[in-house]
Amino acid sequence: MPTLVIDDQKVTVDPGTTIIQAAKKLDITIPHYCYHPRLKSVDMCRMCLVEVKDIPKLQTACSTQVRDNMVVFTNNQKVLDARRSVLEFLLINHPLDCPICDKAGECMLQDFYFQFSRHTSKFKEKKQKKHKVVNLGPKIVLDSERCILCARCVRFLKEVVGTEELGIFDRGDHSEIGIYPGRPLENNYQGNLADVCPVGALTAKDFRFACRSWFLCQENSICPGCSTGCNVLVHSSERSYDKTLRRVYRLTPRDNDEVNQSWLCDVGRYGYHFVDDPDRLTAPSLKRGEEYVKVDWDTAFREVAQRLRGIFERYSPSSLGIIPSPQLTNEDLYMVKKFFNETLCITNIDFKLPGWNQGQGDGFLLKADRNPNTMGAELLGLSGIGPQAGEIIEKTRLGEIKALYLVGSDPARYLGEEKIASALSRAQLVVFQGSNYNYACKFAHAILPGATFVEKEGTFTNAQARVQKINQALRPLGESLPDWKIILGLALTMGYYFPYKAAEDIFKDIAREVTGFSGLDYKKVGDKGIKLALSGG
Amino acid sequence: MSKGLEFSKKTKERLQAIVAKYPEKGAALLPTLWLAQREFSAITPEVEEYVAGLLGLSLVRVHEALSFYTMYTPQPLGKYHIQLCTNISCSLLGAEELLAYLKKRLNIEAGETTPDKKFTLSTVECLGYCGTAPVMRLNETFYENLTENGIDQILRKLP
Repeated sequence: MPTLVIDDQKVTVDPGTTIIQAAKKLDITIPHYCYHPRLKSVDMCRMCLVEVKDIPKLQTACSTQVRDNMVVFTNNQKVLDARRSVLEFLLINHPLDCPICDKAGECMLQDFYFQFSRHTSKFKEKKQKKHKVVNLGPKIVLDSERCILCARCVRFLKEVVGTEELGIFDRGDHSEIGIYPGRPLENNYQGNLADVCPVGALTAKDFRFACRSWFLCQENSICPGCSTGCNVLVHSSERSYDKTLRRVYRLTPRDNDEVNQSWLCDVGRYGYHFVDDPDRLTAPSLKRGEEYVKVDWDTAFREVAQRLRGIFERYSPSSLGIIPSPQLTNEDLYMVKKFFNETLCITNIDFKLPGWNQGQGDGFLLKADRNPNTMGAELLGLSGIGPQAGEIIEKTRLGEIKALYLVGSDPARYLGEEKIASALSRAQLVVFQGSNYNYACKFAHAILPGATFVEKEGTFTNAQARVQKINQALRPLGESLPDWKIILGLALTMGYYFPYKAAEDIFKDIAREVTGFSGLDYKKVGDKGIKLALSGG
Repeated sequence: MSKGLEFSKKTKERLQAIVAKYPEKGAALLPTLWLAQREFSAITPEVEEYVAGLLGLSLVRVHEALSFYTMYTPQPLGKYHIQLCTNISCSLLGAEELLAYLKKRLNIEAGETTPDKKFTLSTVECLGYCGTAPVMRLNETFYENLTENGIDQILRKLP
């Protein structure tokens, strides 16, 4: 294995490693634009030039492979001068629109200019005019004047997505990124283009002019869009900048070699809007006649507890049905199982509504099962105890089930409004617990507002049985609470005490009791998750 | 693949020979575009699609090459394509006057085609005949030491 010296530090790496990768091992970042660790190196931007001892000219660190006894300088005067000159060239035609540029604050051109160049422009000629505000498709806008032609976007669509929808057209200083005339971007991975673009050339319509990047807080989380469980960063701000109630401004992918590499699909990326949607349920409410009255949590718990108890006393546990959702965390689902099944002995409890896993998968990141925690629900035993969710609805329609408690689920989405109306209107009690209004709420006697994935802590188990952690980025909206807390509160009102103060306490019990989870805790799950040790899987 | 558009049998044979020279099909893009331009007189979007299909390339790759090189034309040219050099040597020896004369005589601007589709006039950079400037190229033929009279004679002889 070659051993080399980079800036007086020794490092040994595998043969075939490039200088930029070897430097990274020493925590030396060599500035670059066109180089991207997940794309092939093309030496286009010239930003990563470094000096290699005994080679007269500077070498590109992104493509030069290391040799034994190589001596590399990434920060001597020669390299700094070259870097400065490259920046001067890259900025020749660059417009000075940083104040209104969405990338400002997270732009590699701004950062490196500040860090390495700070030159005064010597360019007296007229700047090259190019196309601005070019619509590349439904989600991405191009500003060609800001583009430095690093071709990361072109190569991403070629090498990763395989659609080759972008190219560099024309020649010399007329060169511009673009789509084939009349063929806008259609792939499900466009959102990544704004991420891979190191400058302000490609911006996401969803984020444009919504918030300055430096006002955003970032929190590690997991995309709830499907059972892949892509690792994401939630970018949020509690101050509203665009006069909407928006608090989450975007999701961006977080590196995880085992799950999503550096990418995120558009279905997941843009699926977060329900978090700040006007249809969010923000206060517990009870049906009084035809009206809904907002009440405090104690009142809501008391009423639900009393009515549940009434049905218990008059009938039996088999007259109650619970349909949880695989959108819930392991911790939420564990509470559902613990309380309704193990404590109240209800066996009509199942999450598998017909069609629950029949979205359109794409063979890359997006799975047909659009739920982040189906595997978790399965492992925690929220299916197969009694009848399936579809039968629970049917039994409600037949009057066998008198009380139906929906936890985060949206049965009308799968079974249609008519079927849900005919079933739910026959129940003596319908409780809806969840984050957003859906058709089933129409029939609810009590509505208990749940927090969304960005407002609570917990874990999801993805399709490969990888447990991954979501973290709280925002306070729950209004009076909504994490679902496990709602069940805890209801249980307490009914006289059952569970000693959980935080989601982490529940996870400890999951680790104690559920096969595959044993020995785990939040620390072991970490930022990148951990694969469960399942027999046969 | 585009409807109706297809190379003649002879061109197909030439294409096969060209493709065989390269380790991968896509590398034959430039000569294939050249064949296509001769056969179909212009690289229209339909031709781009046909070529992309032939070589197994994406439309964007074909369009990149097309937009990079000036000698491929997206619009059909006239029967006679006049390319007048306006680079330094030719300009010093009167190319500008000749350009004005050609424009007047054909009644079109540079880059345009006459309404009867007979002539297309282009200005080009150096054609490599500086020693005998001014020069123009009419389809495949070069004409040197040009004068207004010379141009008249050349054009008059054309069928």
